[in-house]
Amino acid sequence: MSADLPDELTEELDKDEVATKAWDSAVLARLWRFARPHRGKFALSFAILAGLFFLELAAPWLLKHAIDGPIAAADAARNASESGELDATPYVHTLLFLGGGYLLIILLAAVFRFLEENQLTRTGQAVVNDLRTHLFAHMQRLELAWFDRHPTGSLVTRVTSDVENLNELFTSGLVVLLFDMIKVAVVLGLLFVVSPTLATLVLLLTPVLVGVSLVFRGGARRAHRSVRARLARTNGYLQEVLSGIRVVQVFRREERVSQRFGAHLAAYLAANFRTILLFALFFPIVAWVTVLIQAGVLLRGGSAILAGDVTLGDFILFWFWLQVFVGPIRELGERYNVLQSAFASAERIFAILDTPPGITTPAAPRALPLPFHGHVRFENVSFAYDARVPVLSELSFEIPPGATVALVGATGAGKSTIVNLLLRFYDPSAGRITLDGIDLRELDPASLRERLGLVLQEDFLFTGSVRDNLVLGRAGVSPESLTRALEASTASDFVRRLPKGLDTELAERGATLSTGERELVAIARALAAGPAMVILDEATSSVDSATEARIEAATHELLRGRSALVVAHRLSTVRRADKILVLHHGKLRESGTHAELLAHGGIYARLHALQFREPDAELRAG
Amino acid sequence: MRRLYGFVQRFLRHRRALLLGIGCIPLISLCDIRLTLWFGDALSRLSAKEDPAFLSRLFVLLLGVAAVQGLFRFLARWWIVGVSRRVEVELKQDLFDKLAHLSLAFHVRSRSGDIVSRLTSDVENVRMLIGPGSMYVLGSLFMVPGSLWVLFHISPGVTLAMSFPLLLVAVAMMIMTPRLQRYSMAVQESLADIATHAQESFAGIRVVKGYGLGEHENRRFRAASETNRAHQLDLARARGVQDAWIHLAYDLAFLPILVVGGWAMIDRTLDAGDLFKFVDLGFKVFWPVIALGWIAGLYPRAVASAERIDEVLEQRSEIVEAQSARTLARVEGRLTLREVGFTYEGAARPALGGVTLEVAPGTTLGVVGPTGSGKSTLLNLLGRLFEAQGEVRLDGVPIRELDLDSLRGALAYVPQDSFLFSDTYRANLEFGAAQPLEEAELRRLTREVAMEAEVAAFPNGLEQLIGERGVTLSGGQRQRTCIARALARDPRVLILDDALSAVDTETEARLLANLRQAGKGRTVVVAAHRLTTVRSAEQILVLREGRPEALGTHAELLERSRWYRDTWERQRMTAELEVL
Repeated sequence: MSADLPDELTEELDKDEVATKAWDSAVLARLWRFARPHRGKFALSFAILAGLFFLELAAPWLLKHAIDGPIAAADAARNASESGELDATPYVHTLLFLGGGYLLIILLAAVFRFLEENQLTRTGQAVVNDLRTHLFAHMQRLELAWFDRHPTGSLVTRVTSDVENLNELFTSGLVVLLFDMIKVAVVLGLLFVVSPTLATLVLLLTPVLVGVSLVFRGGARRAHRSVRARLARTNGYLQEVLSGIRVVQVFRREERVSQRFGAHLAAYLAANFRTILLFALFFPIVAWVTVLIQAGVLLRGGSAILAGDVTLGDFILFWFWLQVFVGPIRELGERYNVLQSAFASAERIFAILDTPPGITTPAAPRALPLPFHGHVRFENVSFAYDARVPVLSELSFEIPPGATVALVGATGAGKSTIVNLLLRFYDPSAGRITLDGIDLRELDPASLRERLGLVLQEDFLFTGSVRDNLVLGRAGVSPESLTRALEASTASDFVRRLPKGLDTELAERGATLSTGERELVAIARALAAGPAMVILDEATSSVDSATEARIEAATHELLRGRSALVVAHRLSTVRRADKILVLHHGKLRESGTHAELLAHGGIYARLHALQFREPDAELRAG
Repeated sequence: MRRLYGFVQRFLRHRRALLLGIGCIPLISLCDIRLTLWFGDALSRLSAKEDPAFLSRLFVLLLGVAAVQGLFRFLARWWIVGVSRRVEVELKQDLFDKLAHLSLAFHVRSRSGDIVSRLTSDVENVRMLIGPGSMYVLGSLFMVPGSLWVLFHISPGVTLAMSFPLLLVAVAMMIMTPRLQRYSMAVQESLADIATHAQESFAGIRVVKGYGLGEHENRRFRAASETNRAHQLDLARARGVQDAWIHLAYDLAFLPILVVGGWAMIDRTLDAGDLFKFVDLGFKVFWPVIALGWIAGLYPRAVASAERIDEVLEQRSEIVEAQSARTLARVEGRLTLREVGFTYEGAARPALGGVTLEVAPGTTLGVVGPTGSGKSTLLNLLGRLFEAQGEVRLDGVPIRELDLDSLRGALAYVPQDSFLFSDTYRANLEFGAAQPLEEAELRRLTREVAMEAEVAAFPNGLEQLIGERGVTLSGGQRQRTCIARALARDPRVLILDDALSAVDTETEARLLANLRQAGKGRTVVVAAHRLTTVRSAEQILVLREGRPEALGTHAELLERSRWYRDTWERQRMTAELEVL
């Protein structure tokens, strides 16, 4: 294992997660707001835990009564009788009666144990389900810029593992921890009732057990984290090599990556040995301290039994209850770790819930008037993503009802920004955009939804059937309108060839379809609701000529008779547009129809001339 | 069992540590039973009103034996779990080496997620069973019969009566463990569904917001969340049933102790100390009995995992070097293709077919065509990543007869996805070279791909970590870095798979000039979407649906290929708009 990891990489592994507080009242208070509606469930959980606890204590109590009751009585009676002979029947009857009681108790305990697991999960899941859907809905309200700032992966983590951690908090964390404390206190009290001397001894030795538990769990947590981080690196490297296997093999670097993987494994193994060491120490030490307590109890209890302060039954009861007492303390460290990671997750979740949406709709939004004309006006619109770099300045134009406006310009000229503004992904920094005379900021987004057809570059397809992707939960899409949309977009041909037609399930991001097919689906999707207005950002990928022709035809169908804003990459689309806007550095340089712009003799005309220049002549010139 | 034998062999390679660890196990049980017997005997003596003076000596003895037991516990865990971790690491290394050498055809037909899970959860399943699993089982095999044997000598009746419920505990555990695994798998899957939904919704946020699908997405997400809740409840119910059964059976074991043992005490055939021994050993066998059932429940899954691991280890690569493979002392870089084609496994029609051409040393071949027309497939055949139909020759020698070091040593490849390692910038460049590179050499490479200024601007220069944990490179920077890595090999044949798409046209022109100049006499094969990339190539191959449509120079193709002409015009316009 010669290839060593760079130092900064190994260091990185160990500071993977910032440690947070194990107790945070402010966070807890906020969590309570989600737990409050389910307080009935919490109460029931508590009641079940209490019932189980009671039964757990009652079973050994019966044993004590057997020993101190019929057994001791029989013993005394036998000692009293001259012959040592005894009619055992009455004592055995009492014993059997106690046995019956025991059987009843353990049956009841079984029922309660079943209920315990169920109720704790039910409670935790109720809260977590609320929290998760609330969090997701809140994220959906946040503006596009927020999504652009945060990597998708980390957002997914918020609604999955962070929420799962809170589930732990509500089930094995908070409720059980609280109850464990009650248990420890109650059992300690009971131990004092049985024998104050022995109980004092236990009380004195308990801090040792608590200390050991907390110290080792702290170490275990760090060690576990380091193992997890290194394992993640190892698996990450494996995945990396798998995805780059072509390069590895063409470069003949199989040995080198193998050595590197070995170095990752060595680091992982070293971290593992730390964990093994900790656990190999922890379990025996806890066991030894437990024996220490037990031996102490025997030492002190021995003379107490002889002195008659403690009966044999008491001693055995004490032994049983000691087990009930030690268990929660041993688990204390584990619970502490659960709390710590849960609070860290809660903080990350609340950070999102505290983010106000940057783009909001007024309380009483204005609905679009009927009939909707699709009359768009940009009035002196300026915009900048970053205040220092203006993207659009003082842009004004108009899309008359039913007209197609094509945007032409270099990358960075502001074409996509205009689309983003019209979709209200962002608000303009100055000026306004109106739709049938209503400012977008005052408009009810729901009223626009059904009237808009949208085709974006690399249009996103969701997992689900082709039909789901076409309907997208919109009420305005009927089976008839769907069929019409498929025919008009010519997507019907290939959909029919799919194994289950419209009900064929698509892979993630529509990976099972070709580029051209995905584009046709996107056009059909836009057509399905019979939109009055269309926003189209044409794809630039190269497809074969036949598909190209079909996409052109479908695009034509999509734009016909509707108000449309098009970021154009196809010459045919540009030529057919009612108006062409030539953009340069966020400013409108030329506008007009194809014919007008040609006559004008500006940038557009120059561009167009290029298309028809003699190829050979062009080559010689280049 | 035969399936697992090979894995047991792997454990036996660490025979010494393993045997030492196993040797500790009966000693642990012995101490455990001894402790209970001493406690019990003390109680017997106390109830016989003996002088408690013996207690202080016993106190020291108890703690001493407990300490010795602790030491054995420590050693057993350290040795056995330690060996299991070593075996895990060795197994992973073997799997990795196998994967690194398996042909691309294997990698194409298997999903990487599946392979990763064989290296992670499957290895873990086997390790758990043979490592800690065997430790627990061995412990149980000493502790449970040992305890019962001791108790049998005190009271056969009570012992027999309490054995049946204990057996029931193990059986319940054995039966229910696989069931729980099924439920917990369903929970995991539904969690993965939630992640998928969220992932899609966030990645497709433009469509979601554009169509105002917020509510629709919320509904979908809520449904996924509800499904997860339902599965969690199913799991809880199954767990509840298991818990209830196991504890009930276990608690039942104490009923004969109470009734039969108590009766015997009334009859004076047992004393208090004996009863205590039953109670305390009863506690002590609980976990060992559970462990027995648990491991028995894990067994089927471990066997299935072992099979999945073996499947990878037993794979044979389709790309094998010929028995008497030829080496080339000096490579000219002449590529000859005759009727070359390829069909992916399970595909209905060939991805590529009928390609015949020759690339003279030092010339450039451009490969163009629509998405999915077979460009990448053709490039992969040159380095024999796939076995081609027809014949590919390098310097006149069929590549099938060349040894892989000769063939691939002459090649460098720049992948379409601009794959780089999350490592330092230097390490990524040196990946191409046979040995560590001189500073001057590294500088020359970065200059050649026009990255010099950008690398200098990194906080840590050449030592800058890139990727996930370091700086994120732009698409163009990644592509240029991949080219530098390829140039570090000083290859005779350079293969570029659409490797300049994210570089602006001006830089592209400069880069292409560099590539040709640097390798006077270097053969270049370049696939591209952007036709300007291949424009000055000596030959350009137009592929359509896997078939060669035309072969010629740029000027020739403008006349001969309609697709080429159309695409050229469309791209011309976009390009002009770029420099507007």
